[in-house]
Amino acid sequence: MKISLNWLKQYVALEAPVDEIAHALVFLGFEVEGIVRTGAPKLDHVVVGEILTRVRHPNADKLSVCTVDVGPAGGVKTIVCGAPNCDAGRRVPVALPGAVLPGDFEIKQSKIRGQLSDGMMCAPDELGLGTEHAGLLLLDGAPALGTPINEVLPSGDVVFDLEITPNRPDALSHIGIARELAAWFRQDLRFPEIKFNDLVTETARPDILSEVRVESPADCPLYIAILVTGVKVGPSPAWMQERLKAVGLRPINNLVDVGNYAMLELGQPVHVFDAKKIGGRRIVVRRAADREKLVTLDGKERTLSSRMLVIADADKPMVVAGIMGGEKAEVDSTTTDVVLEAAYFRPQSVRWTSKRLGLASDSSYRFERGVDPHSTFEAARRTIDLILETAGGHVVGPLYHVGGDRPWKREITLTSDYVRRRLGFPLSDDEMRNALKLLNLAIVGESRKETGPEWTVDIPSYRSDLDRPIDLVEEVLRLYGSDRVPPAPCIGPALLDGDDDPVVVFNRKVSAYLVGQNYHEVVNYTLRSANELKVWVSRAAAQELALANPFVEDQSHLRPTLLLGMLESLKLNQSRGVEACRLFETGRVFVERDGVAHECAAVAFLNCHNEKDRAWLPRAAADFYTAKRHVEILAGHAGVELGKSALSPVSGAYPDWQEDHSASAGEMTDGWAARFGLVNLAMLRAAGIEGQVWAGIFVILPEKLPADSIRRRYQPISLFPAALRDIALVVDASRHADDVRRTLAQVAQAAAAGAFTVEQIKVFDVYKGQGLPEGKKSLAFSLAFRSAVRTLTDEEVNAAFTKIKQDIAADGSISVRV
Amino acid sequence: MQATIATILAKAQTEFSALQTRAEFETAKARYVGPNGEFTALLKQMGSVPKDQRPALGKLINEAKVRLQSLLDAALRTIADREIAAQLGPAVDPTLPSPDAGPGTYHPLTLVREEMCRILRRAGFSVADGPEVDTEFYNFDALNTPPEHPARDVQDTFFFPENARFGNVSKRVPEERYLLRSHTSTVQIRTMLKRPPPIRIVSPGRVFRRDTTDATHSANFHQLECLYVDRDVTVRDLKALLDYIFAALLGPDTKTRFRPHYFGYTEPSFEVDLSARHLPKVNKEWIEIGGCGMVDPSVFEAVGYDPEVWTGYAFGMGLERLAMLLYGIDDIRYFYQNDLRFLRQFA
Repeated sequence: MKISLNWLKQYVALEAPVDEIAHALVFLGFEVEGIVRTGAPKLDHVVVGEILTRVRHPNADKLSVCTVDVGPAGGVKTIVCGAPNCDAGRRVPVALPGAVLPGDFEIKQSKIRGQLSDGMMCAPDELGLGTEHAGLLLLDGAPALGTPINEVLPSGDVVFDLEITPNRPDALSHIGIARELAAWFRQDLRFPEIKFNDLVTETARPDILSEVRVESPADCPLYIAILVTGVKVGPSPAWMQERLKAVGLRPINNLVDVGNYAMLELGQPVHVFDAKKIGGRRIVVRRAADREKLVTLDGKERTLSSRMLVIADADKPMVVAGIMGGEKAEVDSTTTDVVLEAAYFRPQSVRWTSKRLGLASDSSYRFERGVDPHSTFEAARRTIDLILETAGGHVVGPLYHVGGDRPWKREITLTSDYVRRRLGFPLSDDEMRNALKLLNLAIVGESRKETGPEWTVDIPSYRSDLDRPIDLVEEVLRLYGSDRVPPAPCIGPALLDGDDDPVVVFNRKVSAYLVGQNYHEVVNYTLRSANELKVWVSRAAAQELALANPFVEDQSHLRPTLLLGMLESLKLNQSRGVEACRLFETGRVFVERDGVAHECAAVAFLNCHNEKDRAWLPRAAADFYTAKRHVEILAGHAGVELGKSALSPVSGAYPDWQEDHSASAGEMTDGWAARFGLVNLAMLRAAGIEGQVWAGIFVILPEKLPADSIRRRYQPISLFPAALRDIALVVDASRHADDVRRTLAQVAQAAAAGAFTVEQIKVFDVYKGQGLPEGKKSLAFSLAFRSAVRTLTDEEVNAAFTKIKQDIAADGSISVRV
Repeated sequence: MQATIATILAKAQTEFSALQTRAEFETAKARYVGPNGEFTALLKQMGSVPKDQRPALGKLINEAKVRLQSLLDAALRTIADREIAAQLGPAVDPTLPSPDAGPGTYHPLTLVREEMCRILRRAGFSVADGPEVDTEFYNFDALNTPPEHPARDVQDTFFFPENARFGNVSKRVPEERYLLRSHTSTVQIRTMLKRPPPIRIVSPGRVFRRDTTDATHSANFHQLECLYVDRDVTVRDLKALLDYIFAALLGPDTKTRFRPHYFGYTEPSFEVDLSARHLPKVNKEWIEIGGCGMVDPSVFEAVGYDPEVWTGYAFGMGLERLAMLLYGIDDIRYFYQNDLRFLRQFA
């Protein structure tokens, strides 16, 4: 909101420099977003002069030597000038020696290229009037020579652009801000004197206005309408125009300007109707009919609905209540009689309508935040004064005043001890009393309690945001100065509440592992596009993970996997010619299952092998088993042993993975899922990504992450030697190694018969081809047998091994290779 | 005999020096000192040598034996050296770069978050976490933002359709809607509902606003919030925490100050300004860094804490903004592009 300093000074004596006032505003809670100086600052020794002659400077092409008449006191001066428009006959501002222009630029008599110059003719920027520097400021209207320039130029003003927080609707006006500054600078507030005393001498004019009716008192608890006849439309006075222009409003005519002025002065939006345009001589405050139409002042036709409040005449809406007037009932140059409206509209109603119509105004902004209904009549009286002062006319009775009969009364009980205990530093009772008094928070009662005084504080109607003792603590601190809170050591109870959240701990662990594996952490947006989900994940995901109100089209869905963002990062680096092969990310993903979404913690990595990335010494590329090991370790940090759960090759359910080159586990049955392997090559190419991408993801429901690490129990280790045997098994080429290993483990366990343990069964060779039947492969395992209590003999080991070789072939699907 | 010895030694010298492998060595060795070796045969002849010649000849043979052994040792050493040399390959050029992947890196947002968490941990705060998808109750109602409040506008917050279902995000009342949390204060509410006071938590996390993406705005960004609830917590304690945090982060000459502000969930409320030396690309004395205040009694009522007994403070700030200040980054979008030339700078 724009606030003019000159305007403020009408209500409060502000002698402090601008930066001090700005500081006061900030520490009163009104952030200063900008300070603009308008008009000319006070300039001594700068007067109106007329150029008499102009000749070229003998020693410089671009300079002129002029004689300038600066009036009877100064006479005629010779001045060197570089401006292109210093033509004879022009009247311009002349800074005489002794003048100090903005930027501390002092004017002295001087020699310029050998030519004496006795002052300076000024361009607008040199006088502090904006940034224009193309030529001298030309003064219109032939002002008298020698006139001090401030009498000719618009006077200077300072305009603060303030951010008013939503709890302070009372500060959305010059009076409101003046009231706060008066408190800060310990000055009196001079409220404008109100002359209109509700006395109406004229007889009623039912031929102009016969009735004011409020049909929706819930949306409009107070409506005041006052008829003024015999007004004369014309321009508003210069002082009013200057004020309005300073805060960015365009003057229209005296009646429109008065309305704006009153609102900006007092914070109460008012509306001025041309009384003759009120059809049926009736004002009706009512809900609009559905599909009812109104052309608002901005020239747009609005279609209204039955939840919207309008001010109507006998048959048509004239104004969208509290938001914007219609074209039809506006004041124009022929207006002679007007109706002033001052009302209180329910904030929620105005907000709803304003949002629905996409129509906001200074008026709706104030009504939405809440104007003070108990000041509305006062504002109406002030506006009447302004109308009579600027447009003449007579107030005609009766004064219509509908509703608004609930008186204001609010008191808060506060003890000084409470304030001190909340603030935590000593503030005397008197300092508190003083702060409250300065803010017009009158102490209307005081009693003594054990800990100090207890006050009854009367809250003025415009401060309805103050409701509880804690609200007054803020007021006291605001006036005391929140930047004066004294420093203190940071002391708290020594013990922590507990451990960091398991999700946080998990993210730290997996990140540390992947950083240690030379991966770079990336961070991507949570929101992805519908199309991306359909292509990379599933139609169901695209349906269940959609936002109701996305802001942009390509960010309309929750991410079901981190992979999408990481591939985008990979692509960005590739397109910028930056070699990037190892990326990882942690974060929340959203997994859809059977129409229900689940928010999961997730970690994902990718390792890209790009033929184009050359090295003087080539290294083996990552492969499926690189990804597998990573995922096993990541799962381990979540307390999940991947080795203990079934791994299945990915199917068409996961189009982002390359079939036959990727695996999947978990499937959320126990609250987690893992997938890893090769990212679908065709999809990568379609996405414009080069190379092969080996990747892995692990997701888990946050509540499944273990809160405490499990305390392990020590298992004794055998100090006796192991007996090693190798066995090669021939199976169908399609059979999974782990299936064979598990079968072998069972058989071996049985063969050992509890006499010793089968410590390890490890596959060390996989062979297909010559020497084996078509469609078969050979898996070579090494077995380690060991006893905890003795050295095994060859005989017993051989006996067991023979039995293994017999038993393993029992079901016919496995044969021992010899 | 003497001549024979000399011949054998000469021959051995020539032959041994030509040996390439251990196998050749063993064969050669056998040829001389094996059971059927030439030199062994010589030794066997000693028995037939006349007694008087034996000492001299014995000495001669001993010398020859020592000599032969040293020839064998030398040959074996040469072979072993050659074997090692073969394993070693050519000499390295120490100036060539390693072809292995360079060091992994943490994202700058992670670095800043973890640093803040470490600093706060020293002050007794533990890290709390909560869902990014949350509900109107946790995001608004419990934080003293009533239903008609402008902050709840669909203009500013991402909502989910009425029929959206999230299996593991709990609703307070069945009719409330799911949304993407617009601040991490939701975690404060969830934590307070779960545990009795005192509470001392920091909740860093991702938040969402319906906003145009530009150099300083992003559809999602990260916040970090602290909450302390105990008996007799004061404004001064809050100031003390902030002074501590920023001095720990930026050095002892760092200052903070409070400006009055308004948040629905704190009373009084402040914006926090920071003044620190050596911040890159900062040319004013005070820069806004976050918001804070004393927990509003209505928030305590919403979570079932007695506001007559319990008091507390809360502080929140944007992590991107902090990272931008610390590192001198001038565009928030860099955090989400993940250009490796950017990411590598913070390792």
